[in-house]
Amino acid sequence: MGKLFEKFPDPLARLIVVFLAFLVVGVIVVAVVIPKQMMDVSAQWADAVKREEARPIKYAGFHVCAECHDKIYETKKNGYHRDLSCETCHGPAKAHTDDPDKVKPVIPAERTFCPQCHAYNPSRPRGFPQINPVAHNPLKPCASCHNPHDPKPPTTPKECSACHGAIARMKAVSHHVQLACTTCHEVPQRHKVSPWSVKPTKPQTREFCGKCHAKDGKDKMAKDAPKIDLAEHGEKYVCWQCHYPHSPEVEQ
Amino acid sequence: MNPELIRNLHDLLPQIQGYIYPNEIEIHWGLLIVVYPYITGVVAGAFILASLVKVFNVTEVQPLYRLSLLTALAYLLVAPMALVSHLGHPGRFYEILLTPNTSSAMAMFGFVYAWYLMGVLLLEIWFVHRTDMIEWAEHETGVMRFIHRTLALYSRDTGEVAVSFDHKALKVITIVGIPSAFLLHGYVGFIFGSIKANPWWSSVLIPIVFLFSAIVSGIALVILLYMILTPLTGGKISMRCVDKAVDFLFYAVIVDFSLELVDFIHRVYQSEEEIKILSEMVMSKLFASLIIIQVLLGMLVPLLLISLTKIFKKRFHLNEDLRKMVYFVAVILIQFGIFATRWNVVIGGQMFSKSFRGLTTYKMEFGGLEGLLYAIFLLALPIIILAVLTKILPPWKEMHGQPASESAEAAGS
Repeated sequence: MGKLFEKFPDPLARLIVVFLAFLVVGVIVVAVVIPKQMMDVSAQWADAVKREEARPIKYAGFHVCAECHDKIYETKKNGYHRDLSCETCHGPAKAHTDDPDKVKPVIPAERTFCPQCHAYNPSRPRGFPQINPVAHNPLKPCASCHNPHDPKPPTTPKECSACHGAIARMKAVSHHVQLACTTCHEVPQRHKVSPWSVKPTKPQTREFCGKCHAKDGKDKMAKDAPKIDLAEHGEKYVCWQCHYPHSPEVEQ
Repeated sequence: MNPELIRNLHDLLPQIQGYIYPNEIEIHWGLLIVVYPYITGVVAGAFILASLVKVFNVTEVQPLYRLSLLTALAYLLVAPMALVSHLGHPGRFYEILLTPNTSSAMAMFGFVYAWYLMGVLLLEIWFVHRTDMIEWAEHETGVMRFIHRTLALYSRDTGEVAVSFDHKALKVITIVGIPSAFLLHGYVGFIFGSIKANPWWSSVLIPIVFLFSAIVSGIALVILLYMILTPLTGGKISMRCVDKAVDFLFYAVIVDFSLELVDFIHRVYQSEEEIKILSEMVMSKLFASLIIIQVLLGMLVPLLLISLTKIFKKRFHLNEDLRKMVYFVAVILIQFGIFATRWNVVIGGQMFSKSFRGLTTYKMEFGGLEGLLYAIFLLALPIIILAVLTKILPPWKEMHGQPASESAEAAGS
């Protein structure tokens, strides 16, 4: 070891030499051994840029469409399809903008086109309009009912039975046939828009059924309804935990 | 599509339950990625055991000191092999070194690894063995003399200044080494824990759980190696040393188990949307590896075994052989348990669909670069490397309870 290292302890001096050697070798490898082209990515990118630039332009972009089809553009701008570009459905339209009379973009009319997005698929988000293309108005082109430039969300049916058919049919032949659904269930307006996140209420007290079925029930409509003593019957349970209200059992 | 890939997928399709996305049918991080955290875990754990001697002055486990350092080195050398082999083009791995990426969390492993290997482990091993290598070289001829001379960097200074510098350096390196070992394996946990799209992995507890399971596997492996190697090399197992090491192992297992329990309770109580598919996965696809091997055989049974030796102290202290046998069984079970832990994290995280509606299955290859044979080779390789290392830097004297050299004695006291 040179005199420079004499003030270091022997092991430290040797390690410093080794680490310096590593450093020098590393610098040499980076500076000399590795070819410059390998470190310089611009050379690789230059080719890629040229290659991409040489490709033919097919899409025009929706701004160009709006110049002539301004009414449709205005309609679509505020509709549910506002995030779709014109060319998403009508295909690449650069040729059409160059020569509007000769080249016409496609108008997808077949029933297989819209279901690409709107066929039922469990991985699609809840609330996204989805249909079963086989059962949904067979043979009718989608555009005969839906305006693709301003599609409307499906309207909610007024009757509960539109969705809860099984319950409605059961209730229709039961002793509760005279009762409207809303007699027992409070249905928030939001339930019709988000049926899963906003749910109708269920009667939470025994006194609710008791209005008709209690021994001293005062409702005139229910004077023939089976009567029980609320204080003794069924202890702590809410009525519908034992009796199914959509088809109450009858005991004479 | 590649016809071979389709054939592979075809075998998998009947195993799929529920709805899963097409890119989730095949599990891409396979057995090699299971081996990788297991091996780095052993490195970190073995180093923590070594630091018990140097930093915390636990003199009872002095016989394990050099063995654990060499074990850590042997496993550390193999750790990146699993990753490099997993790359599609292992032959191109050097490009990572030539064009380092400082903004990728995954590329960070290269830096953490380089620091731990060069800045901590090799330095510590060098300082521990320097005076020994000088001494050995004096009585040797031929190749071994050359090896020891070169490894000692042709140093011949065994004077007081040099030796006291060795000791000082060792202390500093070990103190720096503990956070570095935590970093090494905490990093592996971080890589999994920070994947926020995967609820099985995404948890801040994962790095800490990884760390403690690493400590458990490292200590258990060094104890196992000590109990096998000592009689083979004609020494006598020091029960004082093994008892103390098993003590630490016992506490580490308890902490590890509690952390995993906390993680479990937390998930169940939070009951986020993924809980249903995760519980189905645990009860069906991972039942054997998680409930049976990891929790029951890998943790509860070893805990019970070690507690038995503590509860019936008198009975077990009279019979050393019985105690040895119980420890032996416990540390082997722990190895399987920790390997199953890695399996459950890596494979489990890819078995359920991100739609939370389906499960896929893992079809392990037998041959090939991702196969079982190669994984077994990778798991055996550290043992072979360790055999070579012990030829070059024999730890036997220290393992047999004799002071290996002046420096070891001084450091141990």
